[in-house]
Amino acid sequence: MVITGKWRRRRYRVERMLGEGANGKVYLVERDRRLLALKVGADTVDLQSEINVLQALEGRAGSRAEPFLHDVDDLKLAGGKEYPFYVMKYVRGTKLPAFLAARGAEWFPIAGYNLLQRLAELHESGWAFGDLKMDNILAAEYGHVELVDYGGVTAFGKSIRQFTEIYDRGYWNAGTRASDAAYDLFSFGVLCVQLFQEKALYRHTAGTLPQNRSPQELLKLASESPELRPFAGWLERAFAGGFRNAEDAGAAWSVVMRRIGTGGGPKKRTGAVPGWTKALFLLSSGALAAVLYWLLLGQG
Amino acid sequence: MKQILLITDGCSNVGLSPVVAAAQALSDGITVNVVGVLDGGDLGEYGAKEIQEIAHAGGGMSRMASTRQLSQTVQMMTRKTVVQTIQQVVQKELKSVLGGEGAIEELPPEKRSEVVRVMDELGETSKLRVALLIDASASMKPKMAAVEEAIRDLMLSLQSRQGISELSVFHFPGNGHGDDASLDLDWTTNLSGVQSLFPKLQMRGTTPTGPALLQVIEHYRGRDDRRRGGEEDGMMSGYVV
Ligand SMILES: Nc1ncnc2c1ncn2[C@@H]1O[C@H](COP(=O)(O)OP(=O)(O)O)[C@@H](O)[C@H]1O
Ligand SMILES: [Mg+2]
Repeated sequence: MVITGKWRRRRYRVERMLGEGANGKVYLVERDRRLLALKVGADTVDLQSEINVLQALEGRAGSRAEPFLHDVDDLKLAGGKEYPFYVMKYVRGTKLPAFLAARGAEWFPIAGYNLLQRLAELHESGWAFGDLKMDNILAAEYGHVELVDYGGVTAFGKSIRQFTEIYDRGYWNAGTRASDAAYDLFSFGVLCVQLFQEKALYRHTAGTLPQNRSPQELLKLASESPELRPFAGWLERAFAGGFRNAEDAGAAWSVVMRRIGTGGGPKKRTGAVPGWTKALFLLSSGALAAVLYWLLLGQG
Repeated sequence: MKQILLITDGCSNVGLSPVVAAAQALSDGITVNVVGVLDGGDLGEYGAKEIQEIAHAGGGMSRMASTRQLSQTVQMMTRKTVVQTIQQVVQKELKSVLGGEGAIEELPPEKRSEVVRVMDELGETSKLRVALLIDASASMKPKMAAVEEAIRDLMLSLQSRQGISELSVFHFPGNGHGDDASLDLDWTTNLSGVQSLFPKLQMRGTTPTGPALLQVIEHYRGRDDRRRGGEEDGMMSGYVV
């Protein structure tokens, strides 16, 4: 099947469906031998406000090196019905649970760290991601993580545009639904609990009275998981809104990573750094100037 | 923006037809949404049809929800209705400027961007009032905890908006003999001081949905009169897209 834009006439060959959510369907498409992702929306206004966010992110200084948003248009079905769509970068990857099941839980800390970095990029521009949940995160080789679905992205101070109950701070009686960096970090915390305590989390949400839902319950679930235990202090802070933003939270996360020795973060495991890297590092300070001086003199 | 959200689990059985009352609300500029709560049972063919018609006449939407989905459904409907209300105003503007249907879909994608940005801004900042009208007939008894939870959850969402948001709560039939509806909570922006919304509710038999709706419309009118009729909160009077 080929989709042709009604306004801009660009043609996309549909390979297969990538996924489906509450607001639309996303297809893998090909154009000029490039793979892209095409999202067809159910509602023009909803999709357009998502596109507006993507355009705003695209436009900010020092943003992504490669464009994310490629095209915006409508498609017309044979029956005459029209749907809005946009075309974006195709993000390769699988959902985190599948990724960790395939690669092992030892990849959790670095994947988490990378996710915090993606959030930090948004927070730096004054946006919260909003609808942070398993479905909207794609993980790939080496714990590389990308966010998809910008429908929940909300400027700080406004009400979160889209959220999912179990990840929502308000649902856990732990704060407002107004956008701030801490809102995302709360969802990130729930996501961690869900990764390792999925059944217990669902049992808990099904069996607890609304007024009794609290972050303490989430922390209790986390404490029962060996993978999460080292992050207990971090989670407690995230649930209490104790981080300024995801960059702050990422720094604290990497401190835990170093303590448990999984490497990653800004500093690598010392044991893994080959000798020559250290030599290079030494060289770079002061010594480099000397070497250059010697080289230049030699040429002269 | 004014909304009435009716939460019920059955058919009206006394007084004016709720469909007529809903039509009256709409002509007063109040959108009527309806949630049919069902746990296990169903509203029956007649009940399902009635809530659909009420919403249709009231310019709003109707949904069926279990008590578990109630908070989410209420939150989603309120939000969607805000968007739709603004969309209608914008559509009128577009129609007068551009002709045609005024549908946003008629604009080329690059022009939609600015219009939708303005719509999002209005949705976030316009003044919003939601009156909740709760069916308290006997069959609703086991569902009242979920209803109260949904109301508190809605207040939390409304409080997170930048615009002023007020909520009021009624149940029907009313407490006194022959009362169609009783006011449980007058317009408020905060529920944190409210211990219980329905402290001593007597769940009785009849379901005067239509008369109860009229009473809520009257309550809206009273509020508007008290503001000396002037300064209508007409959310974007004079706004030009
Ligand atoms: N750029 C993309 N690359 C690859 N897969 C994607 C991309 N965008 C979305 N998807 C997949 O499609 C699913 C649905 O898309 P999403 O934008 O989340 O829709 P909705 O807004 O309806 O939730 C996602 O969960 C994800 O698996
Ligand atoms: Mg999604």
